[in-house]
This record gives sequence, C-alpha cells and structure tokens, in this order.
Amino acid sequence: MSLIHHRWLAEQLPAWEREGIVTTDGARKLRERYAAEPQGGLAQMVVGAVGALLIGTGLIAVLAYNWDDFPRWVRLVLALGPLAVTQAVSWWVLGRGEAAKPWQREAAALAQTLAVGAALALVSQIYNLPGKWTDLIFWWCVVSVPLAWVLRSQAVAIAYLIGIALWTVTQASERANYLGAIGIADVRLWFPVLLAGILPLWPGPELRDRPAPGSRLVLAASTLIGLLAVAAYATVRPAHMFPSFSGFPWLAMLSAAAVLLFPLDRGGIAEPLSRKPQVLLGGGALVVMALIFTFEDPARDLVKGVGFALPLGWCWLLLLVVAGFAILAFRQGRFAVLAVAALALVPVVAAPLSADDTSGWPVAITYSLVLLATAIALIALEFLGRQGAARIGAALIALLVILRMADADVSLLVKGLAFIVIGTGFLAFNAYITRRRRVAVAGGSPA
Amino acid sequence: MRPALAVFAVAAVAQWLLPLSGIWQHERVISRGTLVKIECGAPDPYDPLRGRYLAVRPAQSTVSEPEGFPDGGGMVPVWAALEAGEDGLARIKSLSLVPVSGPTVIALTARNSGTTNGTDTIWLAWPFDRFYLNERLAPDADKLVAERSRDGKKTVAEVRLLGGQAILTDILLDGVSIRDVVKQRAN
Repeated sequence: MSLIHHRWLAEQLPAWEREGIVTTDGARKLRERYAAEPQGGLAQMVVGAVGALLIGTGLIAVLAYNWDDFPRWVRLVLALGPLAVTQAVSWWVLGRGEAAKPWQREAAALAQTLAVGAALALVSQIYNLPGKWTDLIFWWCVVSVPLAWVLRSQAVAIAYLIGIALWTVTQASERANYLGAIGIADVRLWFPVLLAGILPLWPGPELRDRPAPGSRLVLAASTLIGLLAVAAYATVRPAHMFPSFSGFPWLAMLSAAAVLLFPLDRGGIAEPLSRKPQVLLGGGALVVMALIFTFEDPARDLVKGVGFALPLGWCWLLLLVVAGFAILAFRQGRFAVLAVAALALVPVVAAPLSADDTSGWPVAITYSLVLLATAIALIALEFLGRQGAARIGAALIALLVILRMADADVSLLVKGLAFIVIGTGFLAFNAYITRRRRVAVAGGSPA
Repeated sequence: MRPALAVFAVAAVAQWLLPLSGIWQHERVISRGTLVKIECGAPDPYDPLRGRYLAVRPAQSTVSEPEGFPDGGGMVPVWAALEAGEDGLARIKSLSLVPVSGPTVIALTARNSGTTNGTDTIWLAWPFDRFYLNERLAPDADKLVAERSRDGKKTVAEVRLLGGQAILTDILLDGVSIRDVVKQRAN
C-alpha cells in the first residue's frame, strides 16, 4: 500500500467511524498499521530545508568569491560570523523544545551545518591549504551530525549520509591510485563507525524513530555505496600501477546481501516493497551481479576471487553479519529476501569445486539455475500467501531467457520469435497478477 | 541542562575548535616561520567549495633518489633542507628519510619516478599546491603566469616554514604580489 493509499485511508476513517462501518478501536488499529505522515508537516520541513540550503550554499559561494581586498582578520570574521549566528538560532530553536516547528528545526540545523562547511572552507582558502575539497568532508560530517540528533533534522542526516559515502569512496579510490598517497584512512574501521553516527537519530535512544521514506532511500543507498567502497578498499593492492580488485565481486555481493537482509521489526516487514529501499537496492544489486555472472568470463573471475577474499578479515566480518541477519530473517519468515540473498553464497560453494584452470561455465550455469530457482521461489511465495514478488520473479525469468537467447547460436528469426513469445507471456502474467491482487483485496484475502 | 542542549553545546564547541585550531597553527607559522622563495608554475583551476586558485607547482619536482629510499610505488615522507641560491630562490640542499630540524626544513612526500640519465630519481609532492585568488583576478593571473613562462621569466612562491610545516603566503612576479600585478594591469 503506497503513501497515497495511507493518506486516503486516514481521510476516510472518520466518516467510516461515524457511519458505523468500523469501530473506534478498529479505526485506531488501522491508523496505527497504516500510519500516514502529516502532509503539511512534510511540506513545511521541505520548505524550511530548501530555504536553509539556499542561504547556506549562497553563503559558501559568497565566501568562495575570495574577498582579497579585505585583510585576513576580516575574512576570518566573515568566515566565523555566520557560524556564531546560526549556532545562536539553533540554541533558541532547541530551547523551545517541542514547541519548535519541524521546519524551524530543519532550517536551523541545515543552516548551521552549511555555516560549519563555509567556515572550514574559508579557513582553508585563507591559508592556501592543499588537498581536495573532499578532504574537508570528514570533519564537516563529524562536527555536524550531532545537529541531526538534537534537532531531529532529516536534511542534515541526509547530508551526513551522502557525505560519509562520498568520503569513503574517495579514500578507497586514493588507495587504488597508483601514485599512492599518505594519510589514507582505513575505511574498514571508519565507515562502520561513521554509519553508526546516525543511530542516535534512527532508531534513537528509545529505539522507536524511523526515517521518512526519502531518508530511507538515502540511508540504504549510502550504506550500499559505502560498503562497496570498503570492499574495494579491502581488496585492492595499494599504489600499484595496475590495480587488481580480485575478490571485490564476491565482497560486493556479500555487501549487497547484508543491506538486503537488514533486520526489520514486524511493522517494517508489513510495509510494501516500495517503502523498503534497502530490499530494492540490495536485492537489485545482487540480481544484477548474478546476471553478469551467468556469463563465462565474469563467473571464472568471481570464483578465482574467492581465494583472494577469504583471508581478509573484512570478508569474515561480512559473512558473520550476513549469517546473523539471515538467521533473523529466517525466524521472521522473510523467505523472499533469503532466496535472493542466497545468490551471494554461490561463489563460496562453487570455489572448492573449481580448479584454477577450469572454465567458468559450471559456475555460470549454476548461477543461471540458482537465479531461475530464486525467481520461481519469489512467484511461489506470493501464491502461497507469503511475502513474495511474483512480478519480479517473472521479470527475472524473462531476463534470464533473453540473456541465454542473446548469446545462443540460433538464427535471428528464432531469437525474434522467442522474444515475442516471452514478451507476450510476461505481459499476460502481469495482467493475471494484477487481476488476482484486485480479487484478493475485494475478497479480503490475507495474500 | 537537558541532554539535547548538552550535546548541542559540545558540538558547537567542536565546530569552533576545528577552524580555530587551524587558524592558530597557521598563524604561528606565518608569524614565526622562516621566509623562503621557491620557483614555481601556477595554472588556474577551480574548487567547488573554496573557489578559484592557482595550482602551485614548484619547479624542483624531481631529485636524485637519496640512499635508503624504499622500492615500490607508494608515497614516502621525506624531510628536505632548503638553501637559498645567489638569485635568492631556495632549492633542496639535502633530503632525509628521518625527521630533521632546522629553520629551512620542509616536510614533503616522495615516490620513485624511475631513472633519468642513469640516475634513480624521486618525484616530490610539496605541502602547498594552491594559491586562492578572487574569481575576477584568477583568469588574468593565469594568463599572466603563462605569458611570463613563455618569456622565460620566473614565478616565485613565497613560503613560511616552521617545524617542517609550510604555509604559502604569496605568489610573486618580479618581487611583486601577483594580486597587485593583476589589479594594476586591470586598471
């Protein structure tokens, strides 16, 4: 059920209560189950955040103009003045407690965050300090994230998540740079620590707060990108003319599986797929990688990489996390995500069975079969009344057949006819699922 | 005090400490450091947060490999003692792989850069590479430096050194700040 449906339900419930269609208790339970964010509050927050963003980026641009007609001390006052002003405003907003409106908290927190960035950038500019602009991001993130906690600012949290992912990617790429560099942070340690910096906001000290849908997407995307960067960092040979990332593909699959399997409470599990971006992004990344490994060369490299990855501590940490999350998912009956996550285990099962000089075909064929089994599982789970994804399963089967037909040694006529049959079958299945769901909703089926 | 206010207070103090510690550190080098002048090149790129700058590239970018310099492609910290020549421009007199002290010592990083005329050489990364300029002046400054380079005239970086740390304070053209030269030309 989408956010629009939640809002529609919230609007209908008072009338249904009056007309006796639902009891007061039933309406309360429905409101709890299908909670809708207040529309006005969200709009106010967005307006507040946009206003602060414009002021803050304008401030950075004005300072970046470089007022070299002013002496150094005047420029330093210009750099630090906005910080003092925005801190005073944030203190006032914080002092108002619950009386402060969401847009006030968003605007104050974001303006102060941008003032911190402007101060750091200008000090760096005044003293002609070396280094790329991404070097400033680490400290900017560290001293700004408490504003997301205390002012409950989604905008600052989003900026923080983007910042830490960007910084992690930069550190990993610096390590891979054959020119080498000194002072590269070990992101295997730092990325998890920085990611944990969001915990005081989500889930918060009382373990109740959840990110809004937009923030969830950023949280999931930043986590996935950051973990992929850490996987690259862990596997690359530093400062080498020809950087080799042997082991990266498998660690990337494990990273995606960890994101996909991230534990949810009962309310989270009941939410529609569109509100679970970690499942969409983690699962999507896994499926795309698995589809690539249905070809011989990538499959051979993948299995070879297992031997490089297994001695790495980061690999074992990922395996432990994935195993822990998988056990929780199994207990909660999240079989669809388990079926997709299993794609990450194929290389470790196939590696001992493959000699170094062997062809990649056994693994590629295994991946095709496992993907087919996953697709069938996604369809079957929905038909059995569990949380499944019949359409995604059908799309996966169609993709598999298309890929195999594309590299098959048959005439264009046969390929063309096959594509027409697959396309027609896919559309028919899609129409059938739509009709089935409509009937199920009308008849009150638990599916 | 509510916990949120206490957390905010700590964050606010950290937000001040970060730039202030940088200011204190760099002001100390500027006020107490030894002045050296280094020949350099300086094209004009852009930084999204800090605006336009001249990318300062000291002329002495490769030197003979010092004894004991490790093999491999990674960057290695080195300490260079500078000495002013007859033209007043500082050049590297000696390189050390361990920290050394002195008024004209500068901490650099270096990596192998192959062999030139039968001598193993290393490439040096200097601890200053940017001189920020007003966006009105930067394009003209870039043209000016390019013209002078074609005419064989030298561009000089004015640097303050203290405890191995370096702060770039100005870019000089015939002993005059590039800012003043560009402003004069604009007028």
